[in-house]
Amino acid sequence: MSAGAGRPPSRARIQYAAVVRKEVLQTLRDRRVMFMLLFAPFIQTIVLGFAVDFDVDRVPTVVADQDRSVESRLHLRRVLADGTLRRAGEASSAEEGAAALDRGEAAAVIVVPPRFGADLDAGRPAQVQVILDGTDPNRSNTAAGAVSRYFGEESIRRAESRARAAGLPAPARVEVVPRLYYNPGLKSPPYIVPGIAAMLLVVVTTIVTAMGLSREREQGTLEQVAVTPIPATVLLAGKMTPFVFIGFFDVLLLTVAGTWIFGVPLRGNLAVMAVATLLYLLSTLGVGLLISTMSSNQQQSFLGGFLFTMPAMLLSGIMTPIDSMPGWMQVVTVVNPLRYFQEVARANMLKGAGFGDTWPQLVALALFGAVLFGLATWRFNRRAA
Amino acid sequence: MSLARTRPGRFVARVLAISWKEILHIQRDPRTLALALVMPVVMLLLFGYGVSFDVDHVPLAVSDQDRTEASRRLALAFTEIGEFSPVGGGDADRADTLFRRHATRAILVIPDGYGKDLARGGPARAELLLDAADPVTANQVLTKADAIALAEGRRAAGAAGLHASPPLQVKVSTRYNPEARSAVYIVPGLAAYLMAITAVLLTALTVAGEWERGSMEQLFASPVSRLEIVLGKLLPYLGIGLVQLLLILGVGTNVFDVPILGSPLLVILAGLLFLAGMLGQGLFISVVARNQLVATQAGALSSLLPSLLLSGMLVPIDNMPVPLQVLSRVIPARYLVDALRQILLKGNGFASVRGDLLAMLIFAVAIVALATRRFRRRIA
Repeated sequence: MSAGAGRPPSRARIQYAAVVRKEVLQTLRDRRVMFMLLFAPFIQTIVLGFAVDFDVDRVPTVVADQDRSVESRLHLRRVLADGTLRRAGEASSAEEGAAALDRGEAAAVIVVPPRFGADLDAGRPAQVQVILDGTDPNRSNTAAGAVSRYFGEESIRRAESRARAAGLPAPARVEVVPRLYYNPGLKSPPYIVPGIAAMLLVVVTTIVTAMGLSREREQGTLEQVAVTPIPATVLLAGKMTPFVFIGFFDVLLLTVAGTWIFGVPLRGNLAVMAVATLLYLLSTLGVGLLISTMSSNQQQSFLGGFLFTMPAMLLSGIMTPIDSMPGWMQVVTVVNPLRYFQEVARANMLKGAGFGDTWPQLVALALFGAVLFGLATWRFNRRAA
Repeated sequence: MSLARTRPGRFVARVLAISWKEILHIQRDPRTLALALVMPVVMLLLFGYGVSFDVDHVPLAVSDQDRTEASRRLALAFTEIGEFSPVGGGDADRADTLFRRHATRAILVIPDGYGKDLARGGPARAELLLDAADPVTANQVLTKADAIALAEGRRAAGAAGLHASPPLQVKVSTRYNPEARSAVYIVPGLAAYLMAITAVLLTALTVAGEWERGSMEQLFASPVSRLEIVLGKLLPYLGIGLVQLLLILGVGTNVFDVPILGSPLLVILAGLLFLAGMLGQGLFISVVARNQLVATQAGALSSLLPSLLLSGMLVPIDNMPVPLQVLSRVIPARYLVDALRQILLKGNGFASVRGDLLAMLIFAVAIVALATRRFRRRIA
């Protein structure tokens, strides 16, 4: 390429340009496919960004105040005050509250027993009962945490004032003060949106490539191209080029939507993101190619692509943290390109990580890309021959 | 024979003939059938083991600047419960770099003088630096850190012979899923998800394939009505879907101990109504798309994501913005997830899932009617 403009372009370049042109024309001609590739990801990002909110708040709660004292009313009002729990009704007993859980009208019941206020004033141990609907562990954990934290703090306050009244030294107290990095509001979208990028790219590129090639094979047009003097590497590179651009366009769209709509901070150097996207696309396109060489029709290509993408998304740490997976699963995540891309995307956008921090992931992505693409080309060649 | 001459008899015979043709198609492509039946089991195992919102083994680095008995005790309180796994010493000044490189998720900094403060009875402070990029993990870590601090304070006070029993206690009891296992929550949702995907995509693909190859026109040339073709095509896939449901429930109960407290018949009824709707949706997509590539993308967009995200399977619907909550009402997976959780986990009966069943029935009838109508319009 540096040889100067005077020399005619090499044969490989002419062939490559021709294949790219043919692919671009073919992709542009099918408007519905274009829509699927360009705008569907945008719609998905919007829906995902708004829908995936693991913040638990406004848990419907039934209160059973059996004490009906000033004290019990005060505490019940305060425990509901921070918005984690929402008052969804009253009950006269624990049993009646539990029945509301059965009917799905509430997810938590707080029972304040009779003589609660009197016990507290007299210095006798007082107890509050909480009954939870445990079907959603995340929600029940948060609800239990909110109630325990409120009454725990109240308990410490009581113990201190009692010690003071009795002239004793205050009881020991430990405070763990948190300092939150990167996402102090603990918002879901800034974390989820970079993860969506990893998911969308694999959905858009892998399955579409696999099915596109199978379709050409079904229709017999692949054979026509195979008899031309274009070598397989040039053919495949040309076929993949439009998808690289579509992938970049989708990432760009996602980044813009992420920053404007969902407040993703974009703290890092965008060059890191561009390099990561390119290396990642090499892997996802390589997998699509590989699947198409192993399938005899579009249906099998689709199911094969599906069989790869679903577990790959699950074992990537996009939705759930890798640390809490069982050991054998953590081992599987090591050979998953999605894992490395989501790590780079999140570290880059949220934490401002540069090349110095993310080079191990980038090297891993490059390795996967080279191996997968190489393997796919080799199989494609063998099959075409 | 006499039955076959009556009108309903002939109707049934023709529907069965179309079904038989479809079964032959499915048989000829055993790889697709195997994928349709193996995939749900694989996915179920992966989801069941892999999706755990219960955070544990969070990597934690400790920077103990106090180096006293008390500070070591606090560090131990964090690491001994299994929710944190120690990753060696951390340096608070390098927190940013450590977080960026995924070297640790949290750093516990115990400042000099912690032990002295605790012995004096004054509030003893430690600092927890937390990589809060992942809000779910961060939230749970915060809750756990609070509980540990409370317990440590109580332990220290108890050791000093003061206030053995706290003045106020909270007793928590949990119904339905007392061990708070994510799998129990996930499996009913996953049943809806996996059935939706295979039902919509398999029908969309096979029918779109027939359009592409032109064999659909041959079918129209035969003396069968549209409704007979539609029902005949859907019947075998209803069977596959039902086998899937039983597989999912079998693996769910045996591997993940998901209880079946309610009536199994009610589960199957709910499953059938849901499947009918999903198959109708697949058919509708294939009639509109007529090309396998578009059909799969449209199928994925209309079934995969909504039944994963808007069904309440992973993310509670109550948390969503109102427009999405409204949208979730036209997604049948929402009703199946709710019905399955009620029947399986709570043991509720017909009366409490009546509304869910009705909603799925309405969707199924509406979408099959719509697909049948579009059928003729396309061919004319």
